[in-house]
Amino acid sequence: MYLVPFSTIIGWLTYSAFLSLMALGITLLYRTTKVANFAHASFVTIGAYVTYTLTVIFAANPYAGVPVAFVVVGIVGLAVFYSVLEPLRRRNSPTVMLMIATLSLDVLLLGIINIHADYLTNTYSVPSRNILLSGSDFTFLAQPGILFIALGTLAVCTVAIYVLLNFTTLGIALRASMENPQLAEAIGINVSMMLAISWFIGGGLAGIAGALIPLWTEVNPSIGTILLASMFCASIVGGLEQIYGAILGGLLLGLVDVVGTAELASFLGPWVAFYEPVIPLVVLSATLILAPKGLAGIGLRRRR
Amino acid sequence: MDISTQIILFSVDLFALFAVYLVIDIGLNIQQGVTGIPNFGILFAVAGGAYITAGLSTRLAIIILGIQTNLNPISDNVSVLQLVNPILHAQPILAVSLFVLFLVIGGAAGAIMGLIASAPAVRLREDYLAITLLAFGEILNVIGAGYTPLVGGPPGVDLPDVLAWAGQYRFYAGSLVLLIVAIAIYVLAGHIIKTPFGRTLRAIRDNEIVARALGKNITRYRTSSIMIGSLFCGIAGSLWALYSGAITPTLARFDWTFLPWLMILIGGMGSNRGTLVGTAIVVTLNKLITYFKYAFVGIVPFNIIWLNYLLLGVMTILILIYRPEGIVRETLPTTKRTTGNNVSKPG
Repeated sequence: MYLVPFSTIIGWLTYSAFLSLMALGITLLYRTTKVANFAHASFVTIGAYVTYTLTVIFAANPYAGVPVAFVVVGIVGLAVFYSVLEPLRRRNSPTVMLMIATLSLDVLLLGIINIHADYLTNTYSVPSRNILLSGSDFTFLAQPGILFIALGTLAVCTVAIYVLLNFTTLGIALRASMENPQLAEAIGINVSMMLAISWFIGGGLAGIAGALIPLWTEVNPSIGTILLASMFCASIVGGLEQIYGAILGGLLLGLVDVVGTAELASFLGPWVAFYEPVIPLVVLSATLILAPKGLAGIGLRRRR
Repeated sequence: MDISTQIILFSVDLFALFAVYLVIDIGLNIQQGVTGIPNFGILFAVAGGAYITAGLSTRLAIIILGIQTNLNPISDNVSVLQLVNPILHAQPILAVSLFVLFLVIGGAAGAIMGLIASAPAVRLREDYLAITLLAFGEILNVIGAGYTPLVGGPPGVDLPDVLAWAGQYRFYAGSLVLLIVAIAIYVLAGHIIKTPFGRTLRAIRDNEIVARALGKNITRYRTSSIMIGSLFCGIAGSLWALYSGAITPTLARFDWTFLPWLMILIGGMGSNRGTLVGTAIVVTLNKLITYFKYAFVGIVPFNIIWLNYLLLGVMTILILIYRPEGIVRETLPTTKRTTGNNVSKPG
């Protein structure tokens, strides 16, 4: 019987954990604000640079970046919401305008990230491009620690969101604002504040994912932009209407991407690996044609 | 170099850039402004036009000029062009015909990319569509870098100098030719918007159900809109490749998707004249920042190019919040009142 190499499976699980974390934020923000947040790319990159900056200035352990990145990027999310999306929402701007807004936010944040990276290099005389911190990672059961930490973080975040949305008053108010903003407003829920909270959480999730990236792969200011298509793909494959679909989408896309590429490359030749960035697009197109509402949407459609 | 020469060089280069962006923006305006299809992947069509022109140009030049050589037009690109360019230098008419042929190829490539992009575009809602098209934009860069016969992989290829005949005035001739092409397309697009076809596109944008009720085939009109828009984007890609004389598979989303969106947004979506105004403003601003980049070296502890990102990002957001309709409002063409026998009597 033919078995996929163990290392490929490790690669898949790590990659999927990252994708799921990022897609979780995208789906959450889509559910609440009804906008595809293209700035998620920069949110993730900011997280990565938070970790790196901490290790440079305070010589901190890379994992210390996770909580800091959660707060920092969460605050960036809040700032983005109050300064840009809330005014646009009040104006009843069409969806396209909201999307241009998040696209420009991404450009704006990319500028800030690059300025910060240049500043790091000039002030501390350290490299700020092609950063990899996996050297300072621990090993557990002969595997890199990031595998367990990434999967563990994903599990913790998922459970935390589940508990928040289902067992707290805040979560119920949040869900009400997602399902029917007008009705929620009518029964006295501050929908604007609920959206702001969702931006804090969504940004924070991107920050957590970003904070772990330096331990997994090389970080550049463009890392978020490179991953953007895959994040959105995971989010759409899982179904934008279902928050937990993001995890399913991340696992599936990671499977096709890592295991699929490795297997195809071993049969057809190493040139296949060059076209890996095309895979998310193929999966995306196939999903949109076969199940326009994503995998999690298939069950939903039947129930309605 | 004295200051007046610098200003002349700056503005000549500016005109070329303006011409390329004007053609792209007209293409984007037809899709987003007139028809309401949010194409966040115009990079797909621009790159299609640029890469396919770059890939085919040297090959075609050898065949058309009848050059006998064993050299590979892509991998031995520079040596082959040393055979091609002197002939183009000597024969202006041939060179101009090649230029036109390459633009046609670029346009056709763009239109094909548009046809591919229209497959999701006629089916999906606007947000899903925008995500899909944005993701598709990058695909040609991956293929261009991986498949060397297209544009020679990451190092890129040079293109035949179809403006070589202008000799020492080549730099000026380039901008002039590009401007002429751009203005021709501008006039053509203004005409397209006013035709019954253009009105139908606007009707679909404003109220799809009414357009459908009037018997318009929405799918066909949306596909045509994307294909025409992408055709212009492909021509622009071709113009850019021919003007810069070399292409690498690294056309960026910021330059070829974000900036055009900003331009039509500032100018006013749906308005052809607005597109012209928006293009002029953003191209000038962008070029000024890039130009004065070196004046700031050592003063600020970062590369000044990132200020460009900051400035343009903030500018877009401010416009979205405070003046989303842009500078020039869309003027709808008025119809002449028909009199006499044309009016059918009710009942």
